[in-house]
Amino acid sequence: MQMQTEIRKIIILGGGTAGWLTASIIASEHMLDQESMVVNVTLIESPNVSTIGVGEGTWPSMRTTLKRIGVKETDFFRKCSASFKQGTQFFSWTNKHEQSYAHPFTLPNNFAKTNLVRPWQDLKTDIPFAEAVCPQLPIFARHLAPKQISTPEYAGHLNYGYHLDAGKFADLLRHHATEALGVVHISEHVISVNNKENGDIKSLTTSTNEITGDLFIDCSGMQSMLLGNHFGIPLLDKHQYLFNDSALAAQVSYEDENHPIESCTRSTAQKAGWIWDIGLQTRRGAGYVYSSSHTSDEKAYDELLEYIGETSTNINLDSISPKKITFQPGHRTVFWHRNCVAIGMSAGFIEPLEASALVLVELSASVIADQLPNDRNHMDIVAKRFNKNFRRRWDSIIDFLKLHYVLTDREDSIYWRENKDASTIPESLADSLAHWKFHPPWHEDNIYANEMFPAASYQYVLYGMGFNTQSLRSTKTAKQRWSGVASQCFENNNQQSRKLCSILPTNRELINKIYSQGMHTI
Amino acid sequence: MPDYRLLTSTEHLDHCVIAEKSYAMGDGMMHVMVFPPEFRAVQHHFPIFFAKDPETGSFYPTALLGLEQDENLFLESHGWGAHYLPMMMERSPFFISFQSSIEGEKRPVVSIDMDSARVTKNKGIRLFQDSGEPSKYLQDVVKKLEAIHKGHQHNKDFASALLELELLESCNVEVGLEDGSQRKLTGFYALNEDKLHKLDGESLSSLHSNNFLHSIYMCLASYSRISTLVEKKNFLIRAKNKQFVSEKEVAN
Repeated sequence: MQMQTEIRKIIILGGGTAGWLTASIIASEHMLDQESMVVNVTLIESPNVSTIGVGEGTWPSMRTTLKRIGVKETDFFRKCSASFKQGTQFFSWTNKHEQSYAHPFTLPNNFAKTNLVRPWQDLKTDIPFAEAVCPQLPIFARHLAPKQISTPEYAGHLNYGYHLDAGKFADLLRHHATEALGVVHISEHVISVNNKENGDIKSLTTSTNEITGDLFIDCSGMQSMLLGNHFGIPLLDKHQYLFNDSALAAQVSYEDENHPIESCTRSTAQKAGWIWDIGLQTRRGAGYVYSSSHTSDEKAYDELLEYIGETSTNINLDSISPKKITFQPGHRTVFWHRNCVAIGMSAGFIEPLEASALVLVELSASVIADQLPNDRNHMDIVAKRFNKNFRRRWDSIIDFLKLHYVLTDREDSIYWRENKDASTIPESLADSLAHWKFHPPWHEDNIYANEMFPAASYQYVLYGMGFNTQSLRSTKTAKQRWSGVASQCFENNNQQSRKLCSILPTNRELINKIYSQGMHTI
Repeated sequence: MPDYRLLTSTEHLDHCVIAEKSYAMGDGMMHVMVFPPEFRAVQHHFPIFFAKDPETGSFYPTALLGLEQDENLFLESHGWGAHYLPMMMERSPFFISFQSSIEGEKRPVVSIDMDSARVTKNKGIRLFQDSGEPSKYLQDVVKKLEAIHKGHQHNKDFASALLELELLESCNVEVGLEDGSQRKLTGFYALNEDKLHKLDGESLSSLHSNNFLHSIYMCLASYSRISTLVEKKNFLIRAKNKQFVSEKEVAN
């Protein structure tokens, strides 16, 4: 019997955020103990390819990831122009709600045990759902931080992720991966990909070297050099569900250095898409994501500049020069093929409506780090599971993003009307919507482990956008069951919200303190 | 609202200060900041933990005086119930503030909180003699203020040395009382003895050269003083029950 070679040498192609994050996660799991180093991680990046640098919003999962790879939160704030992201606020996504609705990161009060949707509906109150159940909304309005300077690193009074400067983040990760985690960095252009007899990748040839490996991770971005180009794994187009395929990204400087920093991403719906607006330490990032079949670049440019003009004071619009990005919404039919796995945009890309790009990188790299194949035979099993796992994650992301479009009552353009057309709605989402008409989203909806979005996220979007779940037929017993608990939850939320407003500093105040004092790990 | 004024013999010649400690004078604090130079005296009476300044997030050593918010078990009917009074309590109602000189240099000056209940015109200890010379009491207070001024830097250095070696950990102190109730103290930090014992010679020698090693062992020794707090609390519980019983007897 032939001996199976162990998986020891991992080659990562591409040095953007995806590449360096992947390298850091795998290395922190397998290379920290230099003495017994069994796995070697090498990252090859081309010196003449510029990174795209989109993906300035993260999920709360990034806290766990940064802690895992050993980056101090204080350093992260100081080096990445980072700010706190506590959720997303959606403007103009419906007609009747001229005011916005929010998808905060903090779960509804007592969410493990109590579903507050029906009690909230029974109240027939003017208070929006998210505000009635989650203490984070008044925090958004006051530009407050989710923690105090005395709160330990990566802990918070409220759940949070980050807004960050993607270029600076990649720099921080590169330094950390090479200096603290022992990742080998090769800055050379890859000229060719060489196969083994069995069809696996054997090595990558650069201008001066041939680099062999056991597992190749493709982080080469949209060009997908290994999985797409070399192996010819096709992209599964998702354009029929999510129309957006273009973006204009701009940087907007603050009027002065004390300008308040927003606590959440602001997403404002437009004629043929939506505009993101992210507050970093020294500037905002704003961009229009749109469908090229529903508007022209020129019109999109005008709409973006109009938005920037309306949301800024004393700004010279001539100084704004948006960068155009085009993408095909979709993902590869498989992500792991033979001894090659794609992470990041090489695996797929979809509009950043719920900032799902970086979290998929974190999840993919974590699976590789935690379930590293032992040998080549074992790799096929891990690959099969990986493909199944991430196919489901992509499907649920597409469902959840599409949910934002199907609930609108906007009729003011073809874009919005087509978005509600039944032929553009995935079957799984149509089924869920039909179910939610009678039962609000709840834990048992999440029939798989590691669900992408908790039931809370569906609740925030559905009831934020005015969805109606029918009352129970057996109202009396049900009302008796929840009335006491629910009113206690609403009251607790109210109290918690007031308390937090009185103790939390503004984002700007806390970030200034992070520079002057730093945070502690305990 | 505190009303800080620069202390001068002309302005405050006739003023007196009530030095006795009591709840009425605002001494009902659960813990008070202490400084390494007073650790030897402090550890004899109070447990020394670490707390975080909510404004800056920095750590400082603090003597535990009570088992719940706004409780100071050392405020007894006859006065202060220990043989040592931490400097931060002794200095009340005085503070150090900074005044810029003509050259732009900042120098420490003594201020007084005129809003404090301690400050009177007829009761307590005089601050100045008729001649305008500071009284013995004021001279002592000024010495304490100077020690506190130096102590802040000392605390900062001490805490950063401990943090660098990861010798501090968040701790939850839980104590049971005679009436069956429990008190849980949160938001305090203590020394991690396991980590201390595993320190290499180089780290120990560096701690020793700054005299921090001495302070560390003073803190460790102080933990047994939690029992003093529990005793005092149990005594109060017993007294309260007795009063309740005797009131009942009178009623019968």
